[in-house]
Amino acid sequence: MDKYQNIRNNIIDRYSCLVDDEKKFADSINIPLKQSFRVNTLKEKKKTVINKLKEYDSNIKTTKWNDNAHISELNNLGSSLEHFVGQIYIQELTSMIPPLIVKDLIKDIKIIDCCAAPGSKTTQIAAMMENKGHIIANDARHARLKSLRGNLDRLGVTNTSVTLRDFKSFPNTSADLYFVDAPCSSEGTIRKKNAVARTWKERDYLRFNKLQNGLLSKACEMAPSGSTIVYSTCTFSPDENEKVVSETLDKYDLKMKTISIENLRSESGITEWNNESYNSEVKKCMRVWPHHNDTDAFFIARMEKY
Amino acid sequence: MKQLEEVKKNLLLEYCLERFGINPEIWEGYIWYSGSKNKIYLANTLELERIIPESKGICIFRLDKSPKPTTNFLQLFGRYITRNYVELDNENTKKYCRGEDLILENNKSIIPGFLLMTNKNRFLGCGHWNGKILKNQLPKSKFCKINFL
Ligand SMILES: C[S@@+](CC[C@H](N)C(=O)[O-])C[C@H]1O[C@@H](n2cnc3c(N)ncnc32)[C@H](O)[C@@H]1O
Repeated sequence: MDKYQNIRNNIIDRYSCLVDDEKKFADSINIPLKQSFRVNTLKEKKKTVINKLKEYDSNIKTTKWNDNAHISELNNLGSSLEHFVGQIYIQELTSMIPPLIVKDLIKDIKIIDCCAAPGSKTTQIAAMMENKGHIIANDARHARLKSLRGNLDRLGVTNTSVTLRDFKSFPNTSADLYFVDAPCSSEGTIRKKNAVARTWKERDYLRFNKLQNGLLSKACEMAPSGSTIVYSTCTFSPDENEKVVSETLDKYDLKMKTISIENLRSESGITEWNNESYNSEVKKCMRVWPHHNDTDAFFIARMEKY
Repeated sequence: MKQLEEVKKNLLLEYCLERFGINPEIWEGYIWYSGSKNKIYLANTLELERIIPESKGICIFRLDKSPKPTTNFLQLFGRYITRNYVELDNENTKKYCRGEDLILENNKSIIPGFLLMTNKNRFLGCGHWNGKILKNQLPKSKFCKINFL
């Protein structure tokens, strides 16, 4: 038994009550994920890059829900020349979801990525914007800014300013769109090699909840009327997901938006956990379970400020 | 970071045109900044109020006595470069990516100075040709063992 098996078993035990098919859920948690990536269209056309990569791995597949999400049998595309020159970015499939659910908004606008390092979503958004508009990519940790900067440089992102701040004390800044891709217990990444694998206690979830509440609240406070806020985590934990959104809905004038991605199977947010009920609007949040699309787990909410 | 003085900007525009044949029209819409350690940045970002960013856009030059283009710059704008680029074979590409200097065959026509290194339309980065040897200009952080090319 490998050293992570206990952690996987804990996750399976804790969340089986929330899933449609316990066996499939448990099985999926125990199968490692393949490497996934997207083409950086700031540098080269998708087709050109995929054709070249197929010389290394003829089995590269594109998902049916995102035409720029590809899966490889190789686990070291990071040592390809395409990676070196910034034509591809290795990224978990679920990590590509937040920009996709606001595809309708992403054009020449102003965006704040509140917790941006190492820049997976920032670089994805910049490519969708074709380097137009403006992004502020913020992170609180100096050590992680290096990887953020390195990725912006490698991918050739020119429309982004990098700031180093605890977002809770970020000066009020008006924007059209805010991404709060919050620090979390990261349980949902357990299928990934080198995942943050540890067992969390109830009080850890509540500690994350407090931090996430602070970050999302700050975005809601500074967001002008009509702007959009996207909250996401890579954890199963309702304390870090629906509970955070529910508490935020109770504090600010927000309208929840229903979200869906064509051909991606997802479920609604849950309204009860640990004998606690949440604001019924959290049903509009999206939960992505590992066994439905062969991915990590993910949680996401889209809100509009009144 | 502050906006780059017009004189220095014009010097760099001229260098890009003279050395690499880059059409100055492509710079429309960008703002040029100077940062610490003589670094020049290129960005199309907003001026922020009440917060000083760590960086804007990408670092494209070091401007000491003469301009030195960065690898980020050559990788991004390689497609506009029409002269002073060198196509490497796969063996030399691997060496280049590992950070090694290179001996170039057929080097008679290469004009000393900074060069863009390419491999089949993939823009690798910067090298410096002194007439004898190609000095690798990759930053250490980019050194990499390439398995697929
Ligand atoms: C889930 S990661 C973000 C991943 C990133 N959005 C991406 O797609 O690459 C969460 C990030 O939040 C940062 N963070 C933690 N506390 C923060 C705070 N108070 N303010 C801003 N960022 C914070 C962490 O340093 C970490 O980089």
